[in-house]
Amino acid sequence: MNLRVRLAALLIPLAALSAFGQPGSQLRFCIRTDPKTLNPLMVIDDAGQTVRYLTGGVLLRLNRKTQQLEPALATAWKVSSNGRTITFTLRANVYFSDGTPFSAGDVAYTMERLMDPALHSPVGDSFRAGADKVRAQMLGKNKIAITFPAAIVGLDKLFDQVAILSATSPRKEMAALGPYYLSENKPGAYILLRRNPNYWKHDAAGRALPYIESIRLDIQQNREIEMLRLMRGEIQFINSLDADNYDVVKARAPEMAVDAGVGLDSEQIWFNQVASAPIAAYEKAWFTSTRFRQAISESINRADLARIVYRGHAQPAASWISPANKVWFDRHLPPYRYDPNGALALLEQEGFRLKNGRLRDRAGHVVEFSVMTNAGNRSRERMAAMIQQDLARIGVKLNVVTLDFPSLIERITRTFNYEACLLGFVNDDLDPDAQMTVWLSSAENHQWNPSQKTPATAWEAEIDRLMRLQASTLDVRKRKQAVDRVQEIVREQEPFIYLVNKEALAAVSPQVRNADPVALQPQVYWNIDTLWMGSGGGKR
Amino acid sequence: MRGMAGHALRIVLVVVLGGFAGAALARYAPGWGVDDEDLNSSLSAASHAALHASDANGSNPAAFYVDYWGRLLRGDLGTSVALHEPVSQLLKERVPETCKSVGAGLALAWTMGLGLALLSLLPVARFAAWGAWLLASLVLCLPAAVLALLCVYAHASGRLAIGLIVFPRVYQFTRNLLARSAALPHVLTARAKGAGECRILLRHVLPVAAPQILALGGVSVCMALAACVPVEALCDLPGIGQLAWRAALSRDLTLLVNLTMIMTVVTLAANSGMDLLGGLIGEGRG
Repeated sequence: MNLRVRLAALLIPLAALSAFGQPGSQLRFCIRTDPKTLNPLMVIDDAGQTVRYLTGGVLLRLNRKTQQLEPALATAWKVSSNGRTITFTLRANVYFSDGTPFSAGDVAYTMERLMDPALHSPVGDSFRAGADKVRAQMLGKNKIAITFPAAIVGLDKLFDQVAILSATSPRKEMAALGPYYLSENKPGAYILLRRNPNYWKHDAAGRALPYIESIRLDIQQNREIEMLRLMRGEIQFINSLDADNYDVVKARAPEMAVDAGVGLDSEQIWFNQVASAPIAAYEKAWFTSTRFRQAISESINRADLARIVYRGHAQPAASWISPANKVWFDRHLPPYRYDPNGALALLEQEGFRLKNGRLRDRAGHVVEFSVMTNAGNRSRERMAAMIQQDLARIGVKLNVVTLDFPSLIERITRTFNYEACLLGFVNDDLDPDAQMTVWLSSAENHQWNPSQKTPATAWEAEIDRLMRLQASTLDVRKRKQAVDRVQEIVREQEPFIYLVNKEALAAVSPQVRNADPVALQPQVYWNIDTLWMGSGGGKR
Repeated sequence: MRGMAGHALRIVLVVVLGGFAGAALARYAPGWGVDDEDLNSSLSAASHAALHASDANGSNPAAFYVDYWGRLLRGDLGTSVALHEPVSQLLKERVPETCKSVGAGLALAWTMGLGLALLSLLPVARFAAWGAWLLASLVLCLPAAVLALLCVYAHASGRLAIGLIVFPRVYQFTRNLLARSAALPHVLTARAKGAGECRILLRHVLPVAAPQILALGGVSVCMALAACVPVEALCDLPGIGQLAWRAALSRDLTLLVNLTMIMTVVTLAANSGMDLLGGLIGEGRG
């Protein structure tokens, strides 16, 4: 080897290392709590999902930007015409982080563990489609067919959540196929992930991914301190910012502020319609009245909520599906009206009368109720205060009650001792089938009146029928029609009064290169394997 | 000897009762046994039920407490429901951090508090006495959480906040004790005889006030320990104060009972220790 070749052999890797911030580059960001579990099959909370996303190797990965599935550990896949079987062709010469080889046996083992009824895997729940067992048939070292007892809609997309385990590794579920592996876990303090040296993915130039050596996830509940740490450069990004902090970042370090557009989450208010709830009978009569709910909805100025509470970083909601969901949002739904006079007219049709500035029902009861929300969430507390003012215009007295989250959950899921609740639902799945347990009247998460033996109203029976229909057909057009009709019914009946869809706001240090935040979770680090750390400022 | 046995018996009794009170309060607090994931729409009914399978363990606080003591006597402190770690492991990792915080905080508080109290006795340092009074009053007005946040914003250690929380109490009590002792007739006599200020302070004032100052020492340990909860939670110090905060938020019964008992033991031991020491000093002087 001559001198030039030797020099080039020495300098090219050095240049590559310096360009991509290696070695020793560390990305730091905060998660709110400790993961409830590190077993990827049992992940249930946000922190666990973060660790699973960073360490888990999946067969197919949903590209958060294009919202399309892409090959990962599977190079090709095919769903059978009956929607029950999916066949994967697996990538060859792939190894777990501990050096154990990956094969179809690992996929079969993962599916067996995932569908074990005794495990109660939250990920496994989305695959349950009947009483029979799931069969995994190995068609060779790198090919496998998985057959479910019944058709599953959006079957291939569900594999984005399934981190493949090793059937043979002594490190069990800690052997990772994803870009990182778990190196250290100090409960309550931090989690340290290190680069998986056996990660299968390479960049266009043939360099092994990921570029960043390690990721430190600091457990930090306090958002103000998280902001302070970002400003000091102790962490490199905040994945989800509230509007106040977003504006602070934008004022102090505009290059860090990222608005990825409207997100999937919704904020809504609902009335307690549970028949056995310990509230007065006349209040139950108000809350079960469609016109009453419509009137309350019409009297809320959503544009003001978006403009004032969210400082313009939210849009008035139109449906239970966010406009960010390109496929399933019903674009024919008109926007909500803000019309206090129309609201009063609706209430008068229902026997309510406005007298001396106070609204009274047919029996003379003053219309006054409480709305509860979780303490410490500034946006919701402000929204409640603004709704209080809106309702005062139609003579309704609204009392705002803030409770800590466990107390609030106890009331809406167990004691039903509340009148109305203002809360947001986090949505990380594009397919409306994931919300079956919200819309089926028999479901526990049918918040306004859960676990009904038979649907309490005709419109709930119709929603049940349509949701079951969309879950049983593979015809996307029919599914879309059914889901659109559910959106229309929900809009008419207003069991949930949708308020706003927040924008996905983030703050990312210019040190993090190649960042391209999106509205879907995980907003900032969805492309973690191609992020790299540069020094100092500059273009992201 | 009988005094020590009495103290030990009292500590055991209060710890047992305090632990049970802690278990009962946590069990009957609103939101016990619920989980954020109760609202998770992706879970089946069976998974929701499985999520709450462990709740039955603490539904009866008396039965839980009897079982807890049975395990405790075998050396098992149980497992944290929220952090999924054995409590003994969590304590092993976090007790040193809290000891350092409490130690540093107390050192700061006593150095400042006692130092300024002694200084305020000197006639030549009237200006310093006013300054010390002003500082103590100002710090006393600020809630512990505010002091902790100020430390965060100033990029200072949370231990400084603990010191500042304890300091005004130490300063005010010691200054009052010392001033009262300094006004005793034998001190006036000594001063009239021309004894120097340092000699008066060390030979006539401090020995008289020593038992009460030692008792304040025990109380200050409790104050520093209590301050650890908001300070560690806000300043991100991984000690048992932060652990207690998280245990309370997640209604982690096992962890809360353990932490309640630890705090009770430390509080009682510190007070009893100082009482005994004060008694010994009193006997020595007598």
